[in-house]
Amino acid sequence: MNLKTFALAGALGAALGAPPAHADENLFGYLSGAETLPQGANEAYLWVTHRTDKGIGHYSAYDVTAEYERGLTSRLTGALALRGQSIDTHGIVIDGYLPGDREYGLRASGLEAKLKYKFLSPLIDGLGLAGTVALEHNWLDPHSGRDKDTTSLTFGMQLQKNFLDDQLISVANFAVESAYAVRKPIADLPPGFDWPTDPEMEIELTGGAGLTYRVAPRWFVGAETFYQSEFETEVGQERWSWHAGPSVHYAARTWWATLTWLRQIKGGGETYPGQTDTHLHLVEKTKQEVRFKLGYNF
Amino acid sequence: MNDLFNWWAVPAIVIPAAVAAPAQAVQYFTLEQARRALFPDAAAFVSRPVELNQARRDLIEDYSGVRLRAEHQPVWRAETDGRLLGWFVLDEVYGKHEFITYAVALDPAGAVRGIEILDYRETHGGEVRDKRWQAQFLGKHYGDSLKLGASVQNISGATLSCKHITEGVRRVLALYEAALKGEADR
Repeated sequence: MNLKTFALAGALGAALGAPPAHADENLFGYLSGAETLPQGANEAYLWVTHRTDKGIGHYSAYDVTAEYERGLTSRLTGALALRGQSIDTHGIVIDGYLPGDREYGLRASGLEAKLKYKFLSPLIDGLGLAGTVALEHNWLDPHSGRDKDTTSLTFGMQLQKNFLDDQLISVANFAVESAYAVRKPIADLPPGFDWPTDPEMEIELTGGAGLTYRVAPRWFVGAETFYQSEFETEVGQERWSWHAGPSVHYAARTWWATLTWLRQIKGGGETYPGQTDTHLHLVEKTKQEVRFKLGYNF
Repeated sequence: MNDLFNWWAVPAIVIPAAVAAPAQAVQYFTLEQARRALFPDAAAFVSRPVELNQARRDLIEDYSGVRLRAEHQPVWRAETDGRLLGWFVLDEVYGKHEFITYAVALDPAGAVRGIEILDYRETHGGEVRDKRWQAQFLGKHYGDSLKLGASVQNISGATLSCKHITEGVRRVLALYEAALKGEADR
């Protein structure tokens, strides 16, 4: 996948003009509302997430998602996504997780197919309720950047309640992800380094809430927070972390953009030897993330 | 780091898209055109703005169940030879990102005789201009049920606009009940 080509194609598409946009803008970076695309409407997304800082050495990773969504019915939206990642880490070795320095540019890392069904509309029924199911396969580990086959199935629920003539929007999300993962062997592991290649099962629970307000025409400013916990075959509860940060959303006629800065507020579970920020989980998570999402309607 | 993802890709997408984004506002009717469309037989439109003091605002909000933001409501008496043909009420409701400017025509008894969308600045939902959808409001009085998804059908993809215009019409009917009803014979 060549992101520069994608960017140029997007810019060219915009420059040539496009038909009117549709609903289902992402007002948040990490959470989502209960609305779906209208039947027959299409949306293309580009997400870029920059994860940095494990409190030791240098860690910088970019996750990129290019996604296509289509309104299959007025209540059901289908989506296909291609994921990519790049990583630049050095000076960090965490037994069982980060075997050493790693640096590469953008590589395709996974595929996802997702369905979202709207049970209740926040605009008609007062309280919006949607359910999602997503099947994902990744072949790169987002944390270490190493080869790891992971197949996961995620069930999610999105609640949305609007206030003040739909200018103040609140959402709550819950998700359960079950994953089957197998790491590929690494030839040049540090002596005594534990890098299990047996299949493992992981269950991740996520719950979050967000609030955003239309501060001016086309502009929403809000905040979002979520708690995430992962349970894994060998270590039980491997990690938990609580994240929060502000989001800014802008919408034009055919496209919209959302920028979110997310800080890890508190975390626990596995730690690495010598970790000074003991109130955070920094083995798989980072201290902060910045996510930029761009949506284009056609 | 030279082959890592280049952040220049982000402005490379955003800036051209922002520059190329077409103007949002679509003006379907001027005020004069809307008045003529809704009252083609009127010889004159006499301005009768309704001042919305706190007591009146509370009353209208109570009648309609809809929030009232404006401090006065632009209203015109449509007349022919001094005879009242009806009321032309200019109003605004929130779209998803911008205001939607629309007008409601009421007959002398306070029933809806027509709706026109003047300015529509939204990215989607322009289907509310469809006369078949607007026909659901014709003949409705204050007190009649006007609720999206129940007595008023929704248009998929235009839900927010449908909801806010439905609420807006309900508020206009409450305005008639609270402020214009007694004006009919003056």
